[in-house]
Amino acid sequence: MILKMKKEDLSTFLDSVKEWGELRGPTKKEGRVTYSRVDSLSQMDLKAARTIIPPKKFLYPPRFTMFDYDQDGYTERLGDVPKRVLFGIHPCDIHGILIMDKLFLETYKDPYYAERREKTLLLGHSCIPDDKCMCIATNTDFVAEGFDLFFSDLKMFYLVWVGSTKGHDLIRLKPELFSRELDKNDILNYTEYRKWKNSQFKTKIDLTGMPDIFELGYGSPVWDQLGDKCLSCGQCTMVCPTCNCYNVVDEVELGALEGTRDRFWDSCMFREYSLVAGGHNFRDKRSDRLRLWYTHKLQAFIGEFGKPACVGCGRCVETCPVEINVVTVSTALKEQEVGK
Amino acid sequence: MTRQSPKVGVYGFTGCAGDQLMILNCEDQLVDLFGATEIRSFVMAKSDNHEGELDVAFIEGSISTEEQLKKLKEIRERAKVVIAIGTCASHGGPQAMKLGEGGWEERYRKVYGNAKITISKAFEAQPIDAFVKVDMYIPGCPIDKGEFLAAVSKLVAGRHPYLYKFPVCTECKWKENPCILYAGKFCGGPLTKAGCGAVCPSYGLPCVGCWGPTDDLNVSSEYKLLKEKGYNPDEILRKLRKFGGAKVAQLLKDVENKGAKA
Repeated sequence: MILKMKKEDLSTFLDSVKEWGELRGPTKKEGRVTYSRVDSLSQMDLKAARTIIPPKKFLYPPRFTMFDYDQDGYTERLGDVPKRVLFGIHPCDIHGILIMDKLFLETYKDPYYAERREKTLLLGHSCIPDDKCMCIATNTDFVAEGFDLFFSDLKMFYLVWVGSTKGHDLIRLKPELFSRELDKNDILNYTEYRKWKNSQFKTKIDLTGMPDIFELGYGSPVWDQLGDKCLSCGQCTMVCPTCNCYNVVDEVELGALEGTRDRFWDSCMFREYSLVAGGHNFRDKRSDRLRLWYTHKLQAFIGEFGKPACVGCGRCVETCPVEINVVTVSTALKEQEVGK
Repeated sequence: MTRQSPKVGVYGFTGCAGDQLMILNCEDQLVDLFGATEIRSFVMAKSDNHEGELDVAFIEGSISTEEQLKKLKEIRERAKVVIAIGTCASHGGPQAMKLGEGGWEERYRKVYGNAKITISKAFEAQPIDAFVKVDMYIPGCPIDKGEFLAAVSKLVAGRHPYLYKFPVCTECKWKENPCILYAGKFCGGPLTKAGCGAVCPSYGLPCVGCWGPTDDLNVSSEYKLLKEKGYNPDEILRKLRKFGGAKVAQLLKDVENKGAKA
């Protein structure tokens, strides 16, 4: 279902959704764009292309306690997860969450992720691509599922997609703000908007055929050249909307038998990640670790799920100090030469 | 508790004593700490000290005199586990930034002149693992309370402590800071062990590397990158060596040798 809302009514609507849960949205402070707690629309920056960390942080925090234990057993820490409404999530990040859903909710359901996902509403918002966006190459520039509501900014008004019954419940908090009457002009406007958005991309990469290129380039010296550059800092994995690996560690209270079991983001870029008992490391070389990451994103995931595990958000492009990212790696593999 | 409280000693050599001070600064946990362990010797904290067999010796500071060296070896002999606390004990600290470069005698003369120092013969400061086996490192300048207490709690419980092995950048991303190295600032984050919570970059300041080198570091790439960003080689060497110890010094030497050949 698609509804129509006046631009000026967004603020009133967002005030009303706080009835469901805490409001979160993109904010910009001292050049730092993050999803943060906000009270109203006026505190948000809807023009920012991307946040430093994707919204995965709400569903799967960088470090959190899974459960408290003592001599008698353990108690899950799930009750303290707040109900949240995330507003302003871009299509790429919703695609990222859809991939997280596949990994954490299907074959082996992760209770910590499931609890947070259940208590989080996703209110998407259309965006304007900047010079690092490449979602058009990963087919994630638009989104048809995964959100509760999605707002497309068509200058004079919003077209609002209703993606779930929970999303519909939000509409029912202020039904007078939404209209079901869509006419020919709305369709023309929307078509025009899609064309315009498609024309805005400045990063032109072609990811078709990547599984073949990766297969052909598995032994390519390009990987060693990239490995020489990689700082193993792990930033790419932290900012990637589809990176989901974690480590688990037990903490114990001083002088007691009780403690917590904590979970924190890990990275296959780290040597420790592939270190196993006996001191053997099956990806000791930096180039092997880089190759694993990119093969996973652009080859293996396609084989398993039919789409890449890259949603084209451009965060790796905006973060890696030595310019190792989806654009430079895919280009280097195709051209058999590392740029610069 | 059925487990016996471990006998602990805390010792300081050449350093600012900041790590020992940080232990005393664990105010909320101090009673628990003294309750869960039997602190046999901790000169900075108490006057009633007994030097005997220890389960764990925490050692701060680098070694720079014959007298210190003798004491260090003596502690090692009677301690089951030796833990280096702080970057000086772990990597040498700023006083060891020229380690391996030579010219120590000249630097010594610049500071002390020709004065005859008879207390103990001095030599260039080195980390404690240059002389004795070290079982574990808790680096930091000074150490982080949380990391220290987590490690002690595990030791008391008879379990292996776990410290982050990845670089500062990972914690920096958890704090949602934009990469300042990417932006062109001289940041040592990728070479530096995490544990500080990326405190400097969180205030927009570059990482100076005070936690010392991380386990898996790519000095050569960082060096090249900083050169590309316009920093001069002398400044790069000086800054990276400040807390880098022998490990970074050796890796930088390899970079320079490669550069000379190329």
